[in-house]
Amino acid sequence: MEEEDKTASEPSNSTSTYDKVVDLINQASLLQKDTQKISNLKQVQELIVNKESNLLDNFLDEMIAFQTDRSVDVRKFVVGFMEDACKKDPEILPKVIPCLQHLLQDENINVQKKVILTLSGIFRSVLVWLSKTKFPTPEMSQVWDLMRQMKLKVYEMLDSDNDGIRTHAVKFIEGVVLTLSWKTPESEIPKTTKPESDICLDIVPESSKYLNVRKLEDEGVKMFDALLRFHSSPHISSINLMTVMGSITNIAKQRPAFFIKVVQAFEQLQVNLPPTLAKSQVSSVRKNLKMQMLALLKHQCSFDCLSSITTLLTDLGATQNEVMKAMPKLDETRKRKA
Amino acid sequence: MGDLRIAVVCSSNQNRSMEAHSFLGKKGFKVRSFGTGNQVKLPGPSPNQPNIYDFNTSYDEMYKDLLRKDAELYTQNGILHMLDRNRRIKPKPERFQACKDIFDIIITCEERVYDQLLEDLETREKVENHPVHVINVDIQDNHEEATIGAFLICDLVTMLTECEDMDDEVDEILQEFEHKCQRTILHTVCFY
Repeated sequence: MEEEDKTASEPSNSTSTYDKVVDLINQASLLQKDTQKISNLKQVQELIVNKESNLLDNFLDEMIAFQTDRSVDVRKFVVGFMEDACKKDPEILPKVIPCLQHLLQDENINVQKKVILTLSGIFRSVLVWLSKTKFPTPEMSQVWDLMRQMKLKVYEMLDSDNDGIRTHAVKFIEGVVLTLSWKTPESEIPKTTKPESDICLDIVPESSKYLNVRKLEDEGVKMFDALLRFHSSPHISSINLMTVMGSITNIAKQRPAFFIKVVQAFEQLQVNLPPTLAKSQVSSVRKNLKMQMLALLKHQCSFDCLSSITTLLTDLGATQNEVMKAMPKLDETRKRKA
Repeated sequence: MGDLRIAVVCSSNQNRSMEAHSFLGKKGFKVRSFGTGNQVKLPGPSPNQPNIYDFNTSYDEMYKDLLRKDAELYTQNGILHMLDRNRRIKPKPERFQACKDIFDIIITCEERVYDQLLEDLETREKVENHPVHVINVDIQDNHEEATIGAFLICDLVTMLTECEDMDDEVDEILQEFEHKCQRTILHTVCFY
């Protein structure tokens, strides 16, 4: 292998990077301290994902092997590496997806949570990858099927006994809904350092024989409905409730097709707060609700439900001044409607 | 869980957050402190004449400035002593909105600070959806209350870091803490 690399366009540089990576990985497998091990692996990641991605394939197996490391932090690092690497080169998805499926059932809850957080990005990578092909290979079909199984698994985690797992499952489903829906001119896309996080159904060609856009859109709607059901469940914990409130607000702002449903869900919540919340949790939830409603009011789509939002805000103790400040500029909204 | 990144935040990063920073730091926590105000305000000769600095002024410069202005007054009201303590911990106050680092727990010392902080987190660039627990414990802005507040914050942070699974247990821990300290706690989770 080394001989082959020497024939690359920048022989000396490439060989030295190759040797450096070999050295870093060898050291990492011997190092006892987790922080040192992770520091080595981070350097490898930088070298083979960002600097010389032609080396990614050569060292993928060695890096993935650290998924069985005894250290939780190392395993969490490997999950992050997998996400990064798949974005760089989707061709490695067939190798990575089965590993993620395995790690999603890791004995450690923090590893599971890291996988759940990573999965919405992985799902986008899979969708982009499959959108580009007219004739999916059996490998591609297998990746799509494994991804479907993992989505289902995380969806079921909304019923987990663990509060943190449920919180993370909500964030994953938020990501899936945003991916499996449409952007419109009114979509307010948040600032992000990762432009790929703004992928939606636009990327799937109508002509795709494998990916059925309508089916995917239906799945997005179903996932959104699941969030609404979770939002209105009577015994929801305060943290889960505030997480899902934030998620459906994000969805409403970025995918205005869901806007009115979200406002209605908040109206319902205001008159029907979960009876299990302690007094101070009620204060936190009401404060959070006020924040979400002000964010929705600022959106140009709030024009269609202004009275519901302002009534709700007044009930939540917002001042006239706060409401006026968040009110959308009517002229602009009207112009757009005209 | 000993590696949790903790931030303590008040308005000017002088009294309440620095007292807690000092206390938690001595206990070995990975802690930083911040203010959310637009400027750093310190008491002046009368309530309507505060000393105002920007966040780029070092604690040492403030110390020297007040020493020059009225050494007796600022010794008597404890401001010089506080600034002296602060300059031993870090060079200058830090504004939370200017810090892009990620934390696991953020404790605010006043509802207005909690609101400002949530507003800031809401408008930030999202990187990886890392969850952060934001908790408000009301502490009055004077030396005595800051001392008591630092003890309370330390108790809370100890409970949160010692539990096995913070995300799962935080609700119970906060209710127990609230009952113990007889103060209303605000709590939410945000995502970076």
